[in-house]
Amino acid sequence: MFRKATVTLIGIIALALSLTACTNDPYPGADARRKIYYTSFNEAPKSLDPAVAYDTAAHAVTGNVYDSLLEYHYLKRPYTLIPGLAKALPKREAAKDGSVSYTFELRPGLLYHDDVAFALAGKGADGKPLRTREVVAADVAFELMRIADAKVGSPVVRKFAVIKDLLEFRKRLRALRAASADFTQMPVHRQYERAGGIAGIEVEGKYILRLKLSRPDPQLKYWFAMPFTTPVPWEAVQYYDGEEGRPHFRDHPVGTGPYRLAFYEKRLRMVLIKNASWYGVRHPDWKAPGATYPTEGSAVDKRRGRLDPAYTGKPLPFIERIEFRLEKESIPAFNKFLQGYFDRSGIISESFDKIVQNDALSPEMIARGIRLEKSVQASVFYIGFNMLDPTVGAKAGLRGRKLRQAMSLAIDVREYLRLFQNGRGVVAHSPIPPGLYGYDRKYRNPYSGFDLARARKLLAEAGYPKGIDKKTGEPLQITFDTGSTSAQAMLRYQYFINSWRRIGIDVEVNATTYNQFLQKLKLGAYQIYFTGWIADFPDPENFLFLLESSSGRKQSGGSNYSNYENARYDQLYHAMRAMENGPKRLAVIRQMIAIIERDRPWIELFHDESYVLSHPWVKNVKSFGLSYPVLKYLDLEPAMRARLRKKWNAPIRWPLWIGLALLVVFVAPAIFTFFRERQ
Amino acid sequence: MSWVSNIIVALLVAGGAYVWIWARSNRLWREAMRALVRRRRFALIILGVYVLIGLLDAVSWVGGDGVQGVAASEARSVIDRIFKPSIFREKSYSEPFAQVEFVGGAALTFPGQHVLGTDILGDDVLYKTLKGVKVALLIGGLTCLVLIPLALLFGVSAGYFGGKIDDAVFFVMSTLASIPNLLLLIALIMALGKGTLQVCFALGITGWVGLSRLTRAETLKLRELEYVQAARALGVSHPTIVMRHILPNLAHLVIITFALLFTGLVLSETILAYLGIGLDGSWGRMIDQARNELSRDPVIWWNIVAASSALFILVLCVNLIADALRDILDPRTLRERP
Amino acid sequence: MLAFIVRRLAFGFATVLGVLFVLFVLFFAVADPDDMAIRAIGERASPETYAAWKRNHGYDKPLLINPEYDWTSIQRYTDTLLVDHYERMLSFRFGRSDSDDTPIWTRIREGAGPSLSLTLPLFVLGLIVGITLSLFVAFFRGTYIDRSVLVICMLGMSVASLIYIIGGQYLIGKLLRWFPISGFDPDPAVIGRFLAIPILIGVLAEFGGTVRLYRTVFLEEVNRDYVRTARAKGCGEIRVMLRHVLRNALLPIITNVVLAIPFLFIGSILFESFFGIPGLGALTVEAINGNDFSTLRTIVYIGALLYIAGQILTDICYSLADPRVRLGAEASA
Repeated sequence: MFRKATVTLIGIIALALSLTACTNDPYPGADARRKIYYTSFNEAPKSLDPAVAYDTAAHAVTGNVYDSLLEYHYLKRPYTLIPGLAKALPKREAAKDGSVSYTFELRPGLLYHDDVAFALAGKGADGKPLRTREVVAADVAFELMRIADAKVGSPVVRKFAVIKDLLEFRKRLRALRAASADFTQMPVHRQYERAGGIAGIEVEGKYILRLKLSRPDPQLKYWFAMPFTTPVPWEAVQYYDGEEGRPHFRDHPVGTGPYRLAFYEKRLRMVLIKNASWYGVRHPDWKAPGATYPTEGSAVDKRRGRLDPAYTGKPLPFIERIEFRLEKESIPAFNKFLQGYFDRSGIISESFDKIVQNDALSPEMIARGIRLEKSVQASVFYIGFNMLDPTVGAKAGLRGRKLRQAMSLAIDVREYLRLFQNGRGVVAHSPIPPGLYGYDRKYRNPYSGFDLARARKLLAEAGYPKGIDKKTGEPLQITFDTGSTSAQAMLRYQYFINSWRRIGIDVEVNATTYNQFLQKLKLGAYQIYFTGWIADFPDPENFLFLLESSSGRKQSGGSNYSNYENARYDQLYHAMRAMENGPKRLAVIRQMIAIIERDRPWIELFHDESYVLSHPWVKNVKSFGLSYPVLKYLDLEPAMRARLRKKWNAPIRWPLWIGLALLVVFVAPAIFTFFRERQ
Repeated sequence: MSWVSNIIVALLVAGGAYVWIWARSNRLWREAMRALVRRRRFALIILGVYVLIGLLDAVSWVGGDGVQGVAASEARSVIDRIFKPSIFREKSYSEPFAQVEFVGGAALTFPGQHVLGTDILGDDVLYKTLKGVKVALLIGGLTCLVLIPLALLFGVSAGYFGGKIDDAVFFVMSTLASIPNLLLLIALIMALGKGTLQVCFALGITGWVGLSRLTRAETLKLRELEYVQAARALGVSHPTIVMRHILPNLAHLVIITFALLFTGLVLSETILAYLGIGLDGSWGRMIDQARNELSRDPVIWWNIVAASSALFILVLCVNLIADALRDILDPRTLRERP
Repeated sequence: MLAFIVRRLAFGFATVLGVLFVLFVLFFAVADPDDMAIRAIGERASPETYAAWKRNHGYDKPLLINPEYDWTSIQRYTDTLLVDHYERMLSFRFGRSDSDDTPIWTRIREGAGPSLSLTLPLFVLGLIVGITLSLFVAFFRGTYIDRSVLVICMLGMSVASLIYIIGGQYLIGKLLRWFPISGFDPDPAVIGRFLAIPILIGVLAEFGGTVRLYRTVFLEEVNRDYVRTARAKGCGEIRVMLRHVLRNALLPIITNVVLAIPFLFIGSILFESFFGIPGLGALTVEAINGNDFSTLRTIVYIGALLYIAGQILTDICYSLADPRVRLGAEASA
């Protein structure tokens, strides 16, 4: 308590001091000349467990702390896989029975970052407890078993169900746990051993990992370029159990990445510092593709300065420290970016017109040396219908379909983008976003796009002329569930409400917090909802599976929130999934889109377009486009940053003097009178 | 549901008329009213306008004028019918009295007719601001409807009967008073859920303690007065004494506290709106929605200025009236409270 | 004397029990444990997971009566949520947050520092500014200064605090660039910068109410007999104000102020969440958004506890200073 009082006292003194020397620099002065990259986060991620984390906020950390076996080439587009922790891309072998196996070989000599948890692994040669150990193939197998483990609660089990015996392992484990309490007392990796492991995962020696699949799955390789499949040491999972003052594993990542999480103050900051035991740092001589700045890129990359000879072929990472600062609101965060206190930022819609003019940076921004990266994000935002609903769903048959079509035609997406996103975004006609295989720029969905006359006609055909049910004479009423209660979000929802109102449909918004929204989705007690999906990997399967029936929300808790069920669509999906890209696959994708085009389980709205600004002192900037960013390729020029910050942030003091002068003028007569009277 | 609010309006108007007639028949009250009108004529007129707008917005019925773009089942108030929000709108922002859209400069449907401009969805800001009047009055009024009877019940019974009842009431009051106000409010709304009734109920629960203390202390004094003692000695029943002698003498306290509470309630709704547990259509919500527009470049000021001035003027008028009321009705017992 | 203190403490304890009962009704009866479990784990959990969650957080017992026990057994009435709730709160074992499982005690300990570092200077500065200004106004009572300050106060009181915050941040942070727009860092070298804007705005927003209040207090003192005597004896007006009026008016002001001290801990909910200061106020807002009932419950409890403690201390101090003050007198206050 005494210490706190001292701190407070110092705070007050500091306050008094700072009133005389006012500055808006939010960082200690000593850090100005260090290579520290500043960025913001708006909410502490719920979990940093690589088997669980599945949102952009968490990936911002896990993507840098956990290395994956494969990675994407930083500059090449379309996305190209390169080996990360693996020595090379996996070898694929097809067996006669139609099953397939993939073999990964890990680099030898990889180490985890320094952590006390490794004391569980024993003592080192010097007799002291171990602080790190070598990464082995069994660690990847362990992580895959964690994904299968129902207790871990990984959201992507289904994706790995293609590995032989994985789902059976899940069941065995559950049964063993239910059968005996002693079993649950054992360390987790022992439990997995006791459950017999997963037959489809073979570990050979220290470095070879072989996966046996029940059917070909071309997309599986992409999952090995995500933090889900990173090697995880069992020591960390066992040690960080949330007891006796130790944090949970989900709040204390122990990994193999270029950075490690050094400070994690959920309500203040997350600090990543360079991992001294990363293979790129310890063995620059390896010239490993995942630890060296690329030497190849396109002409655009060259022009944009991403192939600067000062960097090409140099060992990564360049930045010593990454600070994520909590910024709950976007506007202060953006203002701090403009003041030079964050290094990169998106553009908030409030300031867009000032920053971007005629689709290029404004002269003011150019004069500051700020650069703009535009890219269409592989994402889709949509309004979905719950197909289990008796009014808007499949049960209403043709009526329901016509109603959905009418509602889809009533929304002017272009106008929505203009009002709320400054026109940023591409109007969506199918779930597949631009840049992914199967996207057709010329394709127009005849049941979307803005057409009020047709919408009214379809509504009448559905039996609701002007929004009144012909049979009952009752007005049509629909509820719209959304997952945000912020004032800004409410305005967006209101836009949709107004759109439907124009054709006479009365829709009521039911806005709740995100968690409650998810709960409602689970119970299936909703009619229409608004959400979005960002690509995990560059393949249309990652979007089309959102309407496949076996991942129906109600049925299996999957991501098909619309509970859409169409036998033909499912059949096509299964065929498409196993195909390599080519004309045959494209034909199948077209057929799938044609089905949902008429059925309208979704109103596809738009594909988000991202505009990222960078200050001139940030080097090697390239938009990544997938759901997690990679910071190891970036570099900074701290001296330039310090100079420009100073230039941009000179405080304006004259109002203070004017205010004081006014005060004196106001008070002086009274004081004057008082002294005169006294004499 | 429109008939409920219509009935309430009728009751309010009838009740107001009754109070007016009763107050005029009583010399003391008539003089107090005159004094108030003399000192705060302007504030009273403005407050009257607010109340009128609120009442006009509360009277509503279904169907009627065949306006396009309205869901058929919707009951619309007089204000809605004057403004016809489904037609009288633009696509997006426009400045007050503007001829063209604010962003892009496309022609407006109703050039020069939006007195306070339009918001991001093209809704008329004057209309939205006027709609906020009802919500503000509702927050103040409905809450006091919960609060005043509760406070009187506890305060008077504690003061009048004393003894065990007093101890019990005193205990309940200290308990509620020892939970910081805003926290109790948040806790109540979290447990009860969001919504107009819940929020007003929560505000009422958190606010009654202050008034209850005052009425209790005052009742203690009144109880000892000679004519009350005499009435007791004559065997007049307790309810009669309370109705005849105690309550009328508490009326001025209730009125002043009501005026003081009202501003506090309306102002605290803005905090609730910021926390995301406020009421739909309130000025607090409008301010919360518009605060980001200040960061736009060029700045969009009319939304936040409209909502905050409407709020400011109402609160200022009520504050001024409360101030005068305190001077007129009771210069001594009620000093300013923090 | 001792009897008074004992009685006062007993009454304080009873109030604490009352507060806990209010909390029980709100967070166990109105919003029940099943509800909380669903909101905490959300979507796809199995019934066993819900049961496990409730067990982990200690919500797995019946509310008032435990039917597992025979009606003769005392445990029928003690092995319940009601008793657990009292036991846990009174022994300060607050358990874990409903939303992210971190120990609540840790979060509160972490939040107290930032909250205090904001509210303490705000409180002290507000007091100094309020007293100085109202003394100044009282000194010039009846002149144009008095009248115009009163008008300014009335205007100032009628503005919503949200508007002060929005406007202040925009003006001082964005346009004038005096201090960082928002954020926090406990590092003593920079902490002051972050607190400057909220403190300035806080003092400004409060000033209308406090100046009016203190002015009435001062004016009341000014007209007292002893002041007139002092003046008649030839004391200068400034000396009268500082030596006599201020000293005597300080007592009622301090009484007022002491009751506000516990609120310091809770911090200013609005300021903290608006400026991103990770104190208890911001914690409260997070608890609201995350449906984190256990944290909310604890914060309300601690707030009430501090308030009650503050009241008891004031009462005891008073009764030491002035033996006429007793519980009965306090009760009719």
